[in-house]
Amino acid sequence: MDALVAQLQMQYRNYTVSLYQQGFLDDQFTELKKLQDDASPDFVAEVLSLFFEDCVKLIGNMARALDQTGTVDFSQVGASVHQLKGSSSSVGAKRVKGLCVTFKEYCEANNYEGCVRCLQQVDIEYKALQTKLQDMFNLEKQIIQAGGKVPQVDIN
Amino acid sequence: MTVEQQDCVALDQFPVGMRVLAVDDDQTCLRILESLLHRCQYHVTTTNQAQKALELLRENKNKFDLVISDVDMPDMDGFKLLELVGLEMDLPVIMLSAHSDPKYVMKGVTHGACDYLLKPVRIEELKNIWQHVVRKNRGSNNGDKKDGSGNEGVANSDQNNGRANRKRKDQYNEDEDEERDDNDDPSSQKKPRVVWTVELHKKFVAAVNQLGFEKAMPKKILDLMNVEKLTRENVASHLQKFRLYLKRISGNQQAIMANSDLHFLQMSNGLDGFHHRPIPVGTGQFHGGAAAAGMRPFPPNGILGRLNTPSGMSGVRNLSSSPSSGMFLQNPTDLGKFHHVSSLPLNHIDGGNILQGLPMPLEFDQLQTNNNKSIIAGNSMAFPSFPTQQQSSLPNNNNHLVLEGHPQAPPSAFPGHQINKRLEHWSNAVSSSSSTLPPPGQNSNSLISHQFDASSSSYSIPFCDSTIPLNPALDHTNPRAFYRATDMDSSANVQPGVYYDSLQMRKSGNYGPTTDAMLSSNNPKEGFTVGQQKLQSGFMGGEAGSLDDIVNSTMKQEQSQGDLSEGDLGYGGFSSLRTCI
Repeated sequence: MDALVAQLQMQYRNYTVSLYQQGFLDDQFTELKKLQDDASPDFVAEVLSLFFEDCVKLIGNMARALDQTGTVDFSQVGASVHQLKGSSSSVGAKRVKGLCVTFKEYCEANNYEGCVRCLQQVDIEYKALQTKLQDMFNLEKQIIQAGGKVPQVDIN
Repeated sequence: MTVEQQDCVALDQFPVGMRVLAVDDDQTCLRILESLLHRCQYHVTTTNQAQKALELLRENKNKFDLVISDVDMPDMDGFKLLELVGLEMDLPVIMLSAHSDPKYVMKGVTHGACDYLLKPVRIEELKNIWQHVVRKNRGSNNGDKKDGSGNEGVANSDQNNGRANRKRKDQYNEDEDEERDDNDDPSSQKKPRVVWTVELHKKFVAAVNQLGFEKAMPKKILDLMNVEKLTRENVASHLQKFRLYLKRISGNQQAIMANSDLHFLQMSNGLDGFHHRPIPVGTGQFHGGAAAAGMRPFPPNGILGRLNTPSGMSGVRNLSSSPSSGMFLQNPTDLGKFHHVSSLPLNHIDGGNILQGLPMPLEFDQLQTNNNKSIIAGNSMAFPSFPTQQQSSLPNNNNHLVLEGHPQAPPSAFPGHQINKRLEHWSNAVSSSSSTLPPPGQNSNSLISHQFDASSSSYSIPFCDSTIPLNPALDHTNPRAFYRATDMDSSANVQPGVYYDSLQMRKSGNYGPTTDAMLSSNNPKEGFTVGQQKLQSGFMGGEAGSLDDIVNSTMKQEQSQGDLSEGDLGYGGFSSLRTCI
């Protein structure tokens, strides 16, 4: 049992570190983890699900805005991008946030192709992150089920 | 735990237990913010709708110590919420945004925010926000309130006990009323309500300007106005309200305004000063039109002198006494007053061409350089003696409209935004205060989208920009809207109010269908429930306990306010505002 726990924990650590190293997550995510405690044991998972919900909604908005025949209201797109940027930066979704920065620039430049490209990328990115985090949460569950504690991972 | 106990504990442990209201339409950020605030041991209520936040605040001003609000929200611009909160409840408000653009920060400052935080927010930044509560209370309570009034049995003489001070807020308000009220006449005698119509307000403003803001005394104003059945008390309360409003609005800018003092003084001969100053039409120079418009009626003496006064709110006192009749002109209602007032100081601050690099002086600059037609027009409204230029073009009622329309000229969006936004905010505030105002519906959205599509400005130029071509058009649309908005009683308000709200929504960068979707998807209950639950758990007891305080202070307030309200507004909306106050 302990060996299993230890193994899982190591797996978990490595996985988490890799997420940071690959730029999926940043310090803000670390901060979020600090807010998780016994009083709110699923805090991170909750927040991330809210975030992914927001992603779906905002990306939908952006797609709709870009999809208009006739003049595209870039400010409308930009506003959604801005919001996504805010939430992604708050959860530590580094890649998504980075994309939003670029996306915003395209919006301001009224660059339709650029915006569409960014939109596609954002869609891909948030889904990738969602998958990664899901794997991470699964590892956590496994550790707990194996009777262990989820280790604090020090990134640095 | 009874309310009292809770309060006692909270008071003793301040800032622990400080009651924060967090507003952000982004559920992710809101959740995180809530958690961070809990970590700081604050008591947190959250809502994802600004409107809901206002309701919560209006329900009981003493329920919260601090408000943290996002800037970009679909149902209401964060800056507008900021203004309203500052105006109605005098609570410290911290802005939150992913925009790090200095102009937004500046906007926060000019709208009266205590602080401006960038997302992602870190816990370190939140750990010290309680200082704003203390600061505000210290500024407000000049001395004697510092020890909690013992109502809770906590004789806390610690100056830093913002909670105690905040709890005594109602007392503070009461005191403030008494201080300010010239005719301290808390008589229970019911006087017939005076409705401050635009015409009446204009006369009032004209009289005040004629007398000079500093010297304007209710009796003299009354004589000048020469209106039947208007009593000195009516005038006095109206004047008081105006001063209070100015005070609140300008409080944050007193430092900035200090420099403008000179300008004012230079200008000083009241109306004459305006005459001489050509007002540039907003060419990018400064949010000029709007600012200028706002400035216009500014009698140099009064306001500047006031501006000089130091220290936030207390400093503002002086400010408030200086009337900007133009400000009044814009809107006869209190809310309208606020409209104007806010546009005045705030506008300048926005700006670009600050005389000495300070926002305040802008106004003067504006006045000097702007040949703002609207300003003049406004002036003409305010001061019949003012000559010219736009007089003929501007209908009386459109003073405020002029302001709004004016921003069209300035290329720089920012200032114009400010002014317009302010006006719009106020109009929205007015309309939102109106109980008849329905939530923005589809039609209003489409209304907005029509307007907005037409508008060239992409961000936040209020409806006035898009729909009102400078002066002439103003008459038609804005005034009506304003009047409606201010005319609380009439059910016709609904439409304009909705219109305003919609505009407001649009203004915050929301987008027709999206907005609708967002609105509908943001089940009011969601945001509300969270807050509500928290409220209930956190505050039910509190309400019971503090009710006594509230009742007591309210009663006293009522008396002193009786004059105010009667004198001032016959608007239903106003009374709701008043209740908050």
